[in-house]
Amino acid sequence: MGRQPRWRKYLLPVAFLAPGALFLLAFMAIPMVQAVALSFQRWNGLDTPSWIGFTNYTNLFQDETFWLSLGNTLLYTVSMVVLMSTLPLIIASMLNSGIRGSATFRFIFFLPVIISLTITGLLWSMIYEPNFGVLNEMLRSLGLGNATQLWLADKSLVMPSIIVMSAWQSLGFYMVIFFAAMQAIPEELYEAAAIDGAGVWHRFRNVTIPMLRSTFIVVIVLNTINGIKVFDQVWVLTAGGPNHASETLGTYLYRTAFGAMGSSNPQLGYATSIAMIILVISLIFSVIQIRVGQANEVEN
Amino acid sequence: MTLYSAMRRLRISSTYLFLILLSMVMSFPLFWMVMTSVKPQREVFTQFLPRAITFANFDRVWNAMNLPLHLGNSLYVAALVIVIVVITSTLAGYAFGRMEFPRRNLLFYVFISAMMIPAQAILIPMFSYLNSLGLLNTQIGLGLSMTGGSIAFATFLMRSFFKALPSELGDAGKIDGCNDWGVFRHVYLPLSRPGIATVVIFQFMGTWNEFMFSTTFIRTPTLKTIQPALYQVVGRYAIDYTALSAGLLLAIVPILIVFMLLQKQFIKGMTAGALKG
Repeated sequence: MGRQPRWRKYLLPVAFLAPGALFLLAFMAIPMVQAVALSFQRWNGLDTPSWIGFTNYTNLFQDETFWLSLGNTLLYTVSMVVLMSTLPLIIASMLNSGIRGSATFRFIFFLPVIISLTITGLLWSMIYEPNFGVLNEMLRSLGLGNATQLWLADKSLVMPSIIVMSAWQSLGFYMVIFFAAMQAIPEELYEAAAIDGAGVWHRFRNVTIPMLRSTFIVVIVLNTINGIKVFDQVWVLTAGGPNHASETLGTYLYRTAFGAMGSSNPQLGYATSIAMIILVISLIFSVIQIRVGQANEVEN
Repeated sequence: MTLYSAMRRLRISSTYLFLILLSMVMSFPLFWMVMTSVKPQREVFTQFLPRAITFANFDRVWNAMNLPLHLGNSLYVAALVIVIVVITSTLAGYAFGRMEFPRRNLLFYVFISAMMIPAQAILIPMFSYLNSLGLLNTQIGLGLSMTGGSIAFATFLMRSFFKALPSELGDAGKIDGCNDWGVFRHVYLPLSRPGIATVVIFQFMGTWNEFMFSTTFIRTPTLKTIQPALYQVVGRYAIDYTALSAGLLLAIVPILIVFMLLQKQFIKGMTAGALKG
């Protein structure tokens, strides 16, 4: 006994975990460690990086554009959290009320979800275009010429325009999540409520909503994580413009690192410190999500 | 009673009305895109519904931006990522879900902690890292750069999948004379197909739609995958809405086919993370 079985006990798990561990080490752990290091360095991508302590972070906190992009990111995130935990819920409960054609509606609402954010951005750039865009075009044909807007060039409209587009894209995803969760609510609860004389609203308020507690948390957390790192659709639609009015942490990071249109002064260390801010916020909310997931497993 | 049924009828019809109106709003952008893609160029701004259907726009954009090349590039990168992720995550998921070994839970959390790292965090170091490996501006490098984050989530999925399978099966396999590898290979692996399908679909979707890494790590135009290639041509087709619509539509088709064929698994794959917490 002793040695041989012990050695054998480890052999198979190690063999099974090694390939995944190797890729995780090479393409996640190493770059991640480098990222942390880089956020304390100054580097233009060519010369040797130099250690500068917390300078990137202290500069960041005095950088107006950083605060502006943080503000826009939070505006985007909060709007998406609010929109995506209400609208899809209402739609899902309508679809779950036993009406016919529910599957068809779900299909229609889900279609935008499969479309990439890049394509979503390009498609909506044709919708929002002020002169030929279909949105202004429609307003004009309805005799509402006064209501036409420079959707993406107007500083106060650009963020709402991006939020509407993103809501269009992800509504179906959260609808499906709410719908699946509603289907899992035992029918008896509704029957019991009906016997107690509860109407539609009361059943929704006192059965559906409480039973969806953990779904709400998941939806809120997912929207927060996705909101904090929003990049693709903003970059494609406005690249953070006009004049940083739609700059998010993601686009500001990208601009600082790689330049918008071949800018010649890449600040890779500084950009990485922005990435670290995104990382920290995501981590906090991911931990919340995992905690909720564990709580669910215990409940079930 | 009549009042009650009248109320009920009103409620149902208003639900329908709301859903139909919303469906129209939700499908409008895509409907408009399809309509625009089959319109003659001169009708773009004058006609909402095309008077005659033409496929000239598809021809134009297919040839002009070399769509087959970029679709092929995307397929290649997706296949590369899927093969790596499926093999590694099936093995690791099995180990975490069905094997007993010390420090299993700790190792599992180390494995899936990569799920929590947003791509932005590793974007810049990955750029110089790929560069130092000589893999910058290659499709293999792009594929590899996406494996880290993907393996974590796929392992998470495969573990819950293997865990849900009854352990009596393995015991029966052992009685029949299988060793540990045999139990995996002949008992559990054949049963894990639905789990693997979920991972494949999820991964295909993620890789096919990926933009940030693809646009950053590949500079050579002919090596570009479909998303950055589309973004790149927009300058050229900025006001040629018919061609742009046709291009976008063609880029959606592959994923749309997968979606139509495997709707159930597709939705399951996409929402797996959310529902399993």
